[in-house]
Parts: sequence; structure tokens; C-alpha cells
Amino acid sequence: MNKEEIFAVVKKNAHEVLYFLNAEDIHIGTSLAELGANSIDRVDILTQSLADLKLKMPLLELGSAKNLVGLVDLFHQNLHSTVEAG
Amino acid sequence: MEQVLITGMGVVNAIGHQLEDFRASLKQGKSGITAVTDDHIALKKAALLTDFDLQQSLDALPALPQPLRRHAFGMARREPLSIQLGVSVAMQAWQQANLAESPPADRQRVSLVVAGQNINQGYIYQQHERYKDELDYLPPRYGLQFMDSNHIGILSELLQIEGEGFMAGAASASGNVGIIQAVRLIQWGLADICLVVGALADMSSLEVQAFKSMGGLSASDVPCCPFDQDHDGFTYGQGSACLVLESAASAEKRQVKGLASVLGMATNLDANRLSNPSVSGEVRAMQGAMTQANVMANDVQYINAHGTASVLGDETEVAAINQLFAQSRPWVNSTKSLTGHCLYSAGVVEAVATVVQMGQGFVHPNLNLRQPIDDTCAFVGAESQAADIKVAISNSFGFGGINSSIVLGRV
Repeated sequence: MNKEEIFAVVKKNAHEVLYFLNAEDIHIGTSLAELGANSIDRVDILTQSLADLKLKMPLLELGSAKNLVGLVDLFHQNLHSTVEAG
Repeated sequence: MEQVLITGMGVVNAIGHQLEDFRASLKQGKSGITAVTDDHIALKKAALLTDFDLQQSLDALPALPQPLRRHAFGMARREPLSIQLGVSVAMQAWQQANLAESPPADRQRVSLVVAGQNINQGYIYQQHERYKDELDYLPPRYGLQFMDSNHIGILSELLQIEGEGFMAGAASASGNVGIIQAVRLIQWGLADICLVVGALADMSSLEVQAFKSMGGLSASDVPCCPFDQDHDGFTYGQGSACLVLESAASAEKRQVKGLASVLGMATNLDANRLSNPSVSGEVRAMQGAMTQANVMANDVQYINAHGTASVLGDETEVAAINQLFAQSRPWVNSTKSLTGHCLYSAGVVEAVATVVQMGQGFVHPNLNLRQPIDDTCAFVGAESQAADIKVAISNSFGFGGINSSIVLGRV
């Protein structure tokens, strides 16, 4: 799965939780907090994205991502290390 | 003591998703109970909310500001059904009490009591089934959702309530006990306004099976028939309701009319952990509430009975009513013959039903009452009757020997 596809997963889950946004508001340069996600919204979006990507990694680690670019990078890195390990 | 008024009401159940629908259904004697064919749950019949829609319920409240309705939808849309219903009934009551246009002067003097316990068993069971093999993917939000106090958090944030807030858990007496605690907050001077929300009892197949096995729940096809010789247990009903209780001084300051007054109330225990009720406990509850209200038996024109259609429960309540009211013979009916037994919210649903009947001058039918178990009680029959109700009692009794009665007065 490439980064664009991973971003599509994150975007879908962010839009599901932050339903009041227009889809185009959720762009790769922004962060979940900037989009209006509260602390529970953020971990819900992250957990559902992990489920969709069939990834297991600590939510704390994902908290280091400064924006959606960083988040997608972390997912991509772990996804591919998982694939390689598998 | 400070007079406490009901200035707003909201209700959602199988016979009405808004107060006006509920009023019409009470008058017509419409039953929301239908056959259940799901083999996974031990229900033969129930009054279920199969067609509730959160957005529609909020759209039906045009007097509330659009941003508030949008916020309500946003907060509740991904929450369990109990929260969606709680938000709907609180918003209805908020609108009727005109709290959006004429807000309280001090939000720290607005309180919130949510009546119920173990509210989301059905939802919890569903989450367990869904995530038991992949716990890592359980939505973190569940950490808030599984606690009943999620109702307190959501409703207080939505309506900006900053006074006291807590759950009132007393089995099927929860609704009345919640009302009693709310009235006390106002009478003790701790609040000017208190919302009481009777929460949906969202049961899983486990709770249903247990109620059936212990003999409380009707397991037959016999129609729900409180006080009839064919009664054989309660019929589960889904529903939620809300009262806005307010000091007379606050209502006057906000220029809001009271719909009814809470004149008296009493709750007590039988010192019995089991499900069997007691005549003496129920008499003490009704008598205690009348004493506090300073009314005599012949001042009471109507009793909204607990009336679940359980054999021992109905017989016990009839004996208690006859001990106090054999001479004056007020009207008696059971709203549960229409709505099913809404368990935690029953007391609040039935307080709303009592205020509606008091205001509209009628008593609703006791459905399916063909051979009454008693000839002394003045049970309403198959049709609504005109009734001039100045003072009414509403009873709620719960497993574990919890008795409660409230006395409501017309204003």
C-alpha cells in the first residue's frame, strides 16, 4: 500500500469522526487537532486506521506525528516493516 | 419549602417520539408492543424503538438554535442509542422550558440527574462480540461509553450545565428516585433548575434471559395486561424521558409557566434484596408522599400505577392502593400497558404521562384489562375517560425492595 492509499484511509476515518468538515478540508498538510479533533476523536481515528490497515503499533508512538504527513509516514514505515518481517 | 415546578418535558418511546405524539397515543390507547421473532433473545413481545432517527428528532425542535441542534447531532451520532435518546428528550424539554431563549442566569445553579444503572448492557455485549478477538482495535471512545456517567458528560457539555450532576440508580424505581433527588437539590437551595433524564435500559440477551428465568419477564404471547387475571410478567419497553424541574422563583424570573408542581415524594426500602414487593413498603411510599404534599387520600383523583403485569407485583400494588384509597377510589391505570416497562426511565416516562393527562383532563386506557384482579380499584377500561385531575400519584417500585411515590399537582 502506498502513501496515497494510506492517506485515503486516514482521511476516510477522520471524515467519519469529523463529519462536519468538507472532505477537501482534510489535506495532508494539516493535523487532526487543527481539524478540530478532540483527544478522544484523535485516538478513535488512529485506532480505526490501524484496524483498516491491519497494523498493530502503540498509539503513543503515533502521537509523535506532527501532522497527517508524519502520520502517514509512520503508518507506511510500520506497514512495510511488518510486510518485510512477515 | 420552595415550590418545585415542572417547566419542560421530553419523551421518546414506542408510542411517541415527541411529546405531542405521546399525548395522542395515550388518549387513543395506542400500544407500542409488538411480537418479537428474534431467536437470539428470549423476548416474545416488546415495545421497541425500531424507527428512531436522531436527526429527525432534532429537526422537530425548530425553536432551538440551529448551532445547538447541530452540536447535539455531532455529539450523539456515534454514541449508543441510550445517549441519542437522552439527548433527544433533554433537547425537547430544554425547548419546552424555553431555556434557549430565556437561559438561566447562572449555569452553576443548573443541575443534572440521570436515572438508571448499567444502562448500556446491550451495547457493551455487542462491543464484546465484535472486538473480543481483536481488542487492539476497540475504539478508545468505549472508555467513556461503557460508564453510565457518559450521559452526564455529554448532556452537561451540550447544555452547558455546571451545577451538580450524578446518576440515580434504583432499579425500576430509578426514574422516581431521580426526580426525588432533583427536587431535593432545588428545595435545599443547591440548584434553581435540575434536569432529570430517565435513561433507556439497553438490555442484552443475558439480562433478558435472566429476567425471564427469574419469572419477572412475560415469556408468553399473552398481551401485556396489567391488573388482569391473565397477567404473567412485564413486557420490555424501550424509552427515555426528561423533566425540567425548576424553583417557582426561577420560573417566575424567566417568565415560564409551570406544567405541574411536585407536591410531595417518598422513597424507602423493604430491607429485602429479592424481587418480591411488599404492601407495607408501597403503602409507606404513597402515604409518605401524600403527607409531604399535605393531601389526604380523597384529594387524589388519579394513580399512575407501577402496574407491570407481574402477578405478585400487581396484587401487591392493588392491596397497597386499597389500604389507602378503598373509600375515595381514584382512577388507576398503568402506562406500561401501552409503552411496555421502560425499567430505569419508567418513573420519568410515567411522570410525563401523568402531567399530560392532568393537563388534558383525561385518563388513558388500561389495555387488555378484561377480568380485573380486583373489584375495588377504579381501573380505567379499554377507552380513555374524561377526568378532572388536580392531584395525582405516580408509583415506581424496584427489585431489591425499593419503593417510591411522587405526588404531582395541577398548576
